[in-house]
Amino acid sequence: MTTTKSANKNPETPKPAEISPRLDSFYRRFKQYALLTALAGQVAVGFLIIGMIWFLHYQLPSDILFIVVLGSFFILEIFTTLIITSTVLKPTEVFSNALVYISGENGHVVAPNVNTDRDERSGLKGLVDVIYKKAAESRQPAEASGEGTAVHEALLQHLPVGVIAQGLDGSVLYANDAAPVRTDKNDRVVIDLIFDGDDSLEHWLTTAQNHKISDVHFWQGVSDRPLDDPKRRVFDVLASFERGVNDQFESVVIAIDRSGAYRSLDEDLDFIALAAHELRGPITVIRGYLDVLKDELAAVLKPDQFTLLDRLNVSASHLSGYINNILNVSRYDRAHLKLYPREMKLEDVYAGVSDDLALRAKAQNRLLSVTIPNDLPTVAADSSSISEVFTNFVDNAIKYSREGGQIAVTASVDGNFVKISVIDHGIGIASSVLDSLFNKFYRSHRSRESVAGTGLGLYISKAIVESHGGQIGVSSHEGEGSTFTFTLPIYSTVEDKLKSTGGANQGIIETSSGWIKNHNLYRK
Amino acid sequence: MAIKTILVIEDDRFIGEMYVRSLQKAEFDVTWVVSGVDGINAARAKKFDLILLDLMLPEKRGTEVLAALRADNPPTITHVIVLTNFDQDDKSRAALQADADAYLIKADITPRRLIEIIGQIDK
Repeated sequence: MTTTKSANKNPETPKPAEISPRLDSFYRRFKQYALLTALAGQVAVGFLIIGMIWFLHYQLPSDILFIVVLGSFFILEIFTTLIITSTVLKPTEVFSNALVYISGENGHVVAPNVNTDRDERSGLKGLVDVIYKKAAESRQPAEASGEGTAVHEALLQHLPVGVIAQGLDGSVLYANDAAPVRTDKNDRVVIDLIFDGDDSLEHWLTTAQNHKISDVHFWQGVSDRPLDDPKRRVFDVLASFERGVNDQFESVVIAIDRSGAYRSLDEDLDFIALAAHELRGPITVIRGYLDVLKDELAAVLKPDQFTLLDRLNVSASHLSGYINNILNVSRYDRAHLKLYPREMKLEDVYAGVSDDLALRAKAQNRLLSVTIPNDLPTVAADSSSISEVFTNFVDNAIKYSREGGQIAVTASVDGNFVKISVIDHGIGIASSVLDSLFNKFYRSHRSRESVAGTGLGLYISKAIVESHGGQIGVSSHEGEGSTFTFTLPIYSTVEDKLKSTGGANQGIIETSSGWIKNHNLYRK
Repeated sequence: MAIKTILVIEDDRFIGEMYVRSLQKAEFDVTWVVSGVDGINAARAKKFDLILLDLMLPEKRGTEVLAALRADNPPTITHVIVLTNFDQDDKSRAALQADADAYLIKADITPRRLIEIIGQIDK
């Protein structure tokens, strides 16, 4: 409904107080007026009847006179009642019509006209004005009008924050200047943000529409273009959903351009890569010369001295593992971690780390048994990343088991996946902390002081496995040991998908299992 | 064709000597240079069966060395293994992987492992 133009309904121009009577005087006056009208009507009827008797009692016999007078009395009373009723009910009619009118109910009720001088004097106009004024105030937020709207629109348009209203189907109903939107080839305005996998705006909206009354979701570091695009912007995005808030939209998306802040994070990443380079130099030398020494001193060293060399070796390889984890986590947290899964035999992936892990187990007195059947179907794996997952899992099993404990690595087909399990018989994990195990920097409270580690291993392992489309899991009994598992998709089930990712990835998907051709096997 | 002659292009003296020592012990014929320019000259002067190429090199970067040698006609490269401790961004890493027989992080492999990998390239 719209605001009407007549003066009495315009809330912007109320009559000055000195002209209008006080609102509370209306009823008192009207009551007097109604009483007077009723009394005057009855008195008039009385006089008319008396006059009639006076005129007619000479001409008519008394029994006929009685009937005529009585009939006239009834007719006069009916008229008088109609007049009195309509007078007394007039304000009720006006109020009722005014209320029906502002209610917006479809019908034939028009706004009552109370613009006469009499209505103004009686105070009726003042009361009706109050009704219209209050009604206009209450609908103003939803239906901004006049100057207010212009201000709101200008404010929204020039807000330094992107604001997008999404239609019920997820389309863009409104977007201000700062909003990350573009026009697609069908000439529709679409949101121009690249979300990661399942954690997308679209997915969130569908879930919220199906299952929630209201919901708020926050994404950090969502970019609008690929990494190497110089025009790339990075946003923090907040979306809010409220069922039935409006006929046209239920969700609003706020996008804050934080490119500057994220650029400095990228610079941090450069720093971390450089620091890693510097740290890896000495580690290369230590590991390399230990290897050379072990070879060249084979004839003169006693067995326990070999053990010492092994410990040095294992420690150096731990160091290089930590550096890989730190690098991967910093990449992953900035959405820079890219994996290139391709066809691999699981045993070949493990072969890359098998010597290293065997040495680690041996140096720390654990019995490591690896059973990877060679007839397993090939998997889609980014070899070096999955090697890191193996290393992290076996390392954990070593850390949280006892001297002489057995650790088993096994693999088997599980539906469309190959499932890898690393089983230890160590201290186990309390069920209350199982869920937080894969969180960044999480470390078992009991082991915090006794066992070295960054708390990044399981966190990055989860990220790596899930990026492959697999799942990571753990089951444990306190005091009896833990089983960590992860799954990798069987290559044939994802082959089409991998090949269709096109572009740069096309070349690195190799169907031959000649693993030395897979440069990626050694990629770190 | 068996790999016999190896050119090591590596500026770090400790690491260079380490590779030379263990590769010689494994009976390879090893030549070691410490800069990119020397590496290009050495590769052009004599054809090696394998080049071990570091990326962070003085004068010319490993990527430039690789590009220069790849452009040679007749070819001066038979096999090449890129060895680095500097983690590239994904794009240049993918390019290097496509252009070399292997791409290795030095800190993650020992000389023994390197010799195994050379054996596998040789197959």
